[in-house]
Amino acid sequence: MLVIEKLNSGYGKLHVLYDVSLTAKRKEITAALGPNGAGKTTLLNSIFGLADIYSGSIELDDERLNKMPPHMISRRGVSYVFQLMNIFPNLTVEENLRLVARFSGMNHKDIENSLKEIYDLFPILKERRRQVAGTLSGGERQMLAISIGLIKRPRLLLLDEPTAGLAVRYVDMLIEKILEMKKTMDMIILLVEQNVHKALKIADKVYVLVSGRIIFEGTPSELVNKEDIAKMYLGVG
Amino acid sequence: MINMIETLISGITYSSLLSLMALGITLLYRTTKVPNFAHASFVVFGIYTSYTLALLGYNPYLGTLLGFIVSGIIALILFYALLEPLRRRKSSIFILMMATLTYDILMFGIINIYADYLQTTFKIPARNVYLAPQDFTLIGLKGVTIVSTSLLIVLLMLLYILLNRTIIGAALRAVMENPSLAQANGINVSLMLALSWFLAGGLAGVAGALLPMYMMTDPSTGMLLIAPMFCASILGGLEQIYGAPLGGFILGLATTVLVSWLSGVIGYWIMTYSLMVPYITLIITLIFIPRGVVSIILKR
Amino acid sequence: MFDVIILFITDLLAFFGIYLMLNTALNIERGYAGIPNFGLLFSYAGGAYITGHLTAKIAILLTGAKVEADPITQPVSALMVLNPILASNPLISITLLIIILLIGASFGALLGLIQLGPAIRLREDYLAITLLALGEVMNYIAIAYKPFINGSLGVQVPDVFSWLGSRYRFYLATGIILLIAFILYIYAEFLGRTPLGRAMKAIRENEIAAVSLGKSLTRYRAIAMIIGSAFTGVAGSLWTLYSGAITPTLQRFDWTFLPWLMIFLGGIGNNLGVALGTFIFVLINRLIIFNKHLLAGVLPFDIVWFDYISLGLIMGLILIYRPQGILPEKPYIPKNIRRKIVVSRSQE
Repeated sequence: MLVIEKLNSGYGKLHVLYDVSLTAKRKEITAALGPNGAGKTTLLNSIFGLADIYSGSIELDDERLNKMPPHMISRRGVSYVFQLMNIFPNLTVEENLRLVARFSGMNHKDIENSLKEIYDLFPILKERRRQVAGTLSGGERQMLAISIGLIKRPRLLLLDEPTAGLAVRYVDMLIEKILEMKKTMDMIILLVEQNVHKALKIADKVYVLVSGRIIFEGTPSELVNKEDIAKMYLGVG
Repeated sequence: MINMIETLISGITYSSLLSLMALGITLLYRTTKVPNFAHASFVVFGIYTSYTLALLGYNPYLGTLLGFIVSGIIALILFYALLEPLRRRKSSIFILMMATLTYDILMFGIINIYADYLQTTFKIPARNVYLAPQDFTLIGLKGVTIVSTSLLIVLLMLLYILLNRTIIGAALRAVMENPSLAQANGINVSLMLALSWFLAGGLAGVAGALLPMYMMTDPSTGMLLIAPMFCASILGGLEQIYGAPLGGFILGLATTVLVSWLSGVIGYWIMTYSLMVPYITLIITLIFIPRGVVSIILKR
Repeated sequence: MFDVIILFITDLLAFFGIYLMLNTALNIERGYAGIPNFGLLFSYAGGAYITGHLTAKIAILLTGAKVEADPITQPVSALMVLNPILASNPLISITLLIIILLIGASFGALLGLIQLGPAIRLREDYLAITLLALGEVMNYIAIAYKPFINGSLGVQVPDVFSWLGSRYRFYLATGIILLIAFILYIYAEFLGRTPLGRAMKAIRENEIAAVSLGKSLTRYRAIAMIIGSAFTGVAGSLWTLYSGAITPTLQRFDWTFLPWLMIFLGGIGNNLGVALGTFIFVLINRLIIFNKHLLAGVLPFDIVWFDYISLGLIMGLILIYRPQGILPEKPYIPKNIRRKIVVSRSQE
């Protein structure tokens, strides 16, 4: 379980998050929604050690992540899928996956098994395994980026707006895949999304972040009932 | 005719040394995204390493190994003292360039003090480091030619093996392609960058250690070679490490063989302008093939 | 005692004036247009050497004097004829000065354009490399091409400051240097407030945004470079005229690294900061040089290297702890917009 308590963080003198508390459970999709500039990406950055933490704690399965450098956090089983620049463009699809698997210290057998699981989840990637990653379409790239995050079988998967800028059919497909991932894989999924409709469809728990503060915590149906929040900040309802 | 062969051999030696220097520059540019103006100092430390060894009675060629280490350390100091703190602060490339220039100035002062020290202690001119007369000859070739060319080939092979067959090399390549993604996947980017600085410094040190066997050197030699070094890197193509030896040889041979041939055709006066070759080449490269010769080759 | 102090101050102010010109130029190139000119030496040396080459020749033209010796290879003989004429003729001296400075400015501007030529569209890092590399070329040319300034021997130039009498020569020279430096400084300030200046700064801040707004990157860089290099050429000219002689030994350390140090110290983009940084630096530097003999006893090595090392360390510290300088840049907001901000603030 991911437990964040009263987190205050930002970048240098720029204070972004104020007293943010959040929990995310295994085999669940926890979504963080909110308008632009609310601090959603900062939340992910804070978990991954890419932002300055002023106070508060971040614990994954009772292990404190606060002071760790990003590459150590990664080795502790956290995968962060960026919104942009999230693949190695000059390598092929399979090279991307194998390279990352090697770095996480997996042995040969585990790599092959993990690779098979990913190709089962994303058959298109299997088709394009020898294609140079930079030439993939937008949707395929995101699939690869998420796969890069998945291959080491993380405990916690951080997704930063995975459907941003994608064609509609890719958005739907990706959302479905994320749901599939939740069901078949044993991990915590923390999803930051702009596309509120889609996120609400698959989320088990929702947090709404506005101007660096959590103003709502609950289930998707509870959120839809809170019309003021839904309408004002999310353009829903 | 004999003259041409001699010039060619000299050209190959120069090209090998230039390639070693340019390799470091391209490597650093690919990993740290910064043109390293302190490379001149890395080379000069190599020069004085082999010179010191020679003064102490050892074979100056041992300077290649020692020079690799010395210059590698000098490079690491620059990295950890200036560049890494600035990088963590997300300083602009401009500030990083300024930092390398600053370090170059600092090291220039230090090496000059050392040269003065050698002068007073050993009572010899330390500003005219020229060890060629002590060089050995094998099958008609000067030692420096054999050593520099073979070392270049060996180091290139080792570099290839490192980058393509080891996990550290894979990590280095990942850092070159996408540092944040590399970091997000468990790679200690800072350590990989430090490694690249050590290697680049080392390569420069090796080149510097061999220089006194080829030409007259002094503390300012590094600054003199900055233009050819960078020109070779850019000519080869900064986007591909193996562009460096390519650029090194094209420029090196142009500077020696081409000019020599021209002097026979146009007139001897053109030799004094051989120093201008890197600059002219640089300008031509930037106008016509800004991404270097490698980009032409890769297109096919 | 008093004489020594006056001498020190005059020398100090002359150096201050020359460096102020250089640093203002660098500030326009970097602070305004974002050009990392690590090749300042090229235009500076260009201005200095062209002055060395042409001053005597133009003096001959202006005075109509009969000079048999070639002013380049036999400057002493040539000057024996020319200097007395200049000393007794303020009008010709001043005319000569103005002509030479215009030449220095034009030549400097031309060199700036040459430097920028292939690099005009380049990214910052490629541009920096090119400019740094080209910096050394002027010295090579001057040494190789003897008719320029007599190779490594260098030349002497006629004295254009002697018309107030030899006693006041240095005061006059310093005064004129300060005057010109002041004029250029005012111009740079003015430039920063014009639409042109502000467009340049916009480009420096964010190239892509500025270009998308229709600002021509190439054009503004070229303009900044021309203006900056013209200033630099003038500074070089004055250096030669002040020194009375020039050799092709101008160092990158003195005329590229130190200017950068001074503007970093004072604050890039801020002209006042640059002036402040220049003054502080030149003051300390001159104090050290003046008391060289005192320090030489203390240091186990040559004071020149001490210079390199200490300044390298200082610059390193500035980069890490205060890269914005003593007086950070304040954005310039034109009056009409400033008024609107005040009004809207008072309404809150």
